[in-house]
Amino acid sequence: MKSFWLPIFCSALALAACGSLAADEPAVTNLLTEIRTLRARLESLEKQVADMKTKQTAAVAAPLSAPAGALADTRRSIQSLNPDVSVIVDTFYHADNSKEGISHVTGEMAGFGHTHADGEHHHHGVEDGFNLRHLELQFSADVDPYFKGSAIAAVDLEGAELEEAVIETTCLPWGFKVKGGKFFSDFGYINAQHSHQWDFTDRPLIHQLALGDHGLNDKGLQVSWLAPTPFYLLAGVEGFQGDNENMFAYHGESPLSTREGPRVGVGWLKFGPNLPGRHGLQLGLFSGLGRHQEEHDGDGDGTADHWLDGMSRFWGGDVVYKYDAPRPCGAGDFICQAEYFGRCKDLELAGHDLAPELVGNSRVDKQDGYYVQAVYGFLPRWRAGLRWEQVGLINQSDLPDGTSESYGSSYRAGPMLDFTLSEFSRIRLQANRGSYKTNEGTEDVTEVFIQWMISLGTHGAHKF
Amino acid sequence: MKTLSCLIGLTALAAVGAADARADRLRIVTTTSDLAAIARAVAGDAADVRSVCTGREDPHFIAAKPSFIMQARDADLWIRIGLELEIGWEQPILDGSRNTRIRVGGKGHLDASEGLLLLDVPQTAVTRAMGDVHPMGNPHYWLDPLNGRRIAGVIAQRLAQLAPDRAAVFARNAAAFQQALDERMFGAALVKAVGAETLWTQAQDGTLAAFLATGEGGAQAAGWVKAMQPLRDQKIVTYHKSWIYLANRFGLTVVAELEPKPGVPPTAAHLEEVAEIARADGAKIILQEPFYSDKAARRVAAQTGARVVVVANAVGGQPEATDYLALMDLIVRRLTE
Repeated sequence: MKSFWLPIFCSALALAACGSLAADEPAVTNLLTEIRTLRARLESLEKQVADMKTKQTAAVAAPLSAPAGALADTRRSIQSLNPDVSVIVDTFYHADNSKEGISHVTGEMAGFGHTHADGEHHHHGVEDGFNLRHLELQFSADVDPYFKGSAIAAVDLEGAELEEAVIETTCLPWGFKVKGGKFFSDFGYINAQHSHQWDFTDRPLIHQLALGDHGLNDKGLQVSWLAPTPFYLLAGVEGFQGDNENMFAYHGESPLSTREGPRVGVGWLKFGPNLPGRHGLQLGLFSGLGRHQEEHDGDGDGTADHWLDGMSRFWGGDVVYKYDAPRPCGAGDFICQAEYFGRCKDLELAGHDLAPELVGNSRVDKQDGYYVQAVYGFLPRWRAGLRWEQVGLINQSDLPDGTSESYGSSYRAGPMLDFTLSEFSRIRLQANRGSYKTNEGTEDVTEVFIQWMISLGTHGAHKF
Repeated sequence: MKTLSCLIGLTALAAVGAADARADRLRIVTTTSDLAAIARAVAGDAADVRSVCTGREDPHFIAAKPSFIMQARDADLWIRIGLELEIGWEQPILDGSRNTRIRVGGKGHLDASEGLLLLDVPQTAVTRAMGDVHPMGNPHYWLDPLNGRRIAGVIAQRLAQLAPDRAAVFARNAAAFQQALDERMFGAALVKAVGAETLWTQAQDGTLAAFLATGEGGAQAAGWVKAMQPLRDQKIVTYHKSWIYLANRFGLTVVAELEPKPGVPPTAAHLEEVAEIARADGAKIILQEPFYSDKAARRVAAQTGARVVVVANAVGGQPEATDYLALMDLIVRRLTE
């Protein structure tokens, strides 16, 4: 009520004041004169201030006394208030010699089959010809003295996806950090990296098969701790809502059970001994556990007819060694990295329209895989690399009808050559030769990638 | 479970051990070896000083490895060159360390470029088509002895804030370093006769050369200014734009760089151009750091008859460059021999 009457009252007062001014002309003249005097005084004061500033700058330029920040560059300070904004364009040309395309082959790999009936999820499967993986749009900045924030959107031709939206603490004592939002799990080495950071164009096969196109990326919370040890030891635990199509899917509709989130927990350790000089080494161990549900379309009529419900686990280790040569532009640098990833889906048949007698029986899928890759900078700006991968060393399913199946292992290997024109652009040539065990038999596929990546704007430095 | 509890036990033990080792010495981590050398001179016994770069590598390209994060974790003071020299690796180290003391803006974070004399500050809009241009100025400023002198002062001030009880010691150490530097620069006799302040003022306003040419100045001058006097007004070629502060201080002119654009390795066509310029301008010296290949320099030298000088631009870059003054000694010696 009060706030409604206040403007009206003020306006009335102003009107009254105007009226009285108009009525009293000598008073206006007086006021005008006064304004003129004040303006003159202001101008003279401004001039004095300007003079003083010039003198101060001259004093600052005297060589011996280090100027106390008076020369601080205004551009520097203004720029630092804006978030860092960067755009990464990741595009490539792809060709392979398989009949139905490599995405179809990897989608049909025995033991790693689809976990849902409908094609609701958006896939980044590679096509023969030109591909735009995505345009990565990133904003990051210190929020205040306590938090740091970043948001990353992956935009492709079908739309935009929120890749990461992260708030992390910068103020916690004793080596703690809390991170929340939607982010890549920090387990292992390559999962938390964005595609433009990879040394090869495509994701390692085991990650692709076990975790899908996006890796383990979910809404959640992470607490990590840098131990006060004489060597590098970082430990982290993460809780996620549980939204990974391959390992931690949730449908929640009958006959599947309803489970409130968070449905996934992950833990990891990273250890880095103090190697002398230019050698850097990091070893990691990880494990994760979460709720998982699957819908399957057994008779291929387009609707789900049996459902699985239970838990998924994964575990493994990673190792990264880097030699940082003294020469510029990466010449002489060497990186070797390897990861092992094993998983077990321990599920129960929650419903089956075609074979109701099997309901309640269990289905257990155990699969694993690893990759090893090495990259060497043989000239300034030029790198060559090799990658060897194997999946399905363990590749076994215990089915609800009491039988067991072993599918055997697949491998993929390939060389890579890339040319980093500057820190902001890179061209890469890569080939893959793989032998894949699919549901239809073994298929050998050769692939070629020609990738081109550019980075615009201010993009933060990358971790080890 | 057993392994896990063992691990936790070990971690706790190690933590206790680490805490014991922390006496009341300050722990300083610098990004480059030059900052470390100056910090050592200023802090004396009161601090342990470590550097990320050793001086033998290109400081633009460093991997933020876990052991650097370890050093930063325990640091009371982090000193950087700034001007985006460390842009490719500083932030992951600072973030990874979870050390709230040394975050940018904190008391434990010192940007040594603050308040220095900077060159090559772009006056027009910068685009990346120009190569690796540092938009806030050329970061190789430590090669100007006057900046080296000032860095000592800035570090002493900051250390005094961190450990007020030892402020006098830091001020004394800094003054001793500055005096030693003045004497190496101008010769002890000249510093005594004229005073360091006057000499540096002259070095800044461009009247030093004329003063040294007079009988009074010339007779007493020694040190780097004396040694470099014959090179004054000479034209030189450098590999990267990393020597302009040195050139500016001793009156040399850099007429060309072997890199076509900062950070872009030399190309054959560009080297032809450089050889042309070097011949036309009569450049006698091609100057570069040891971590660059000297092939391009040799090629231009063969075409022009110029002398290739490969010398460290950072402490530790060559065995003789044991500290800041020794580094400047070495550079002056190599240029003038």
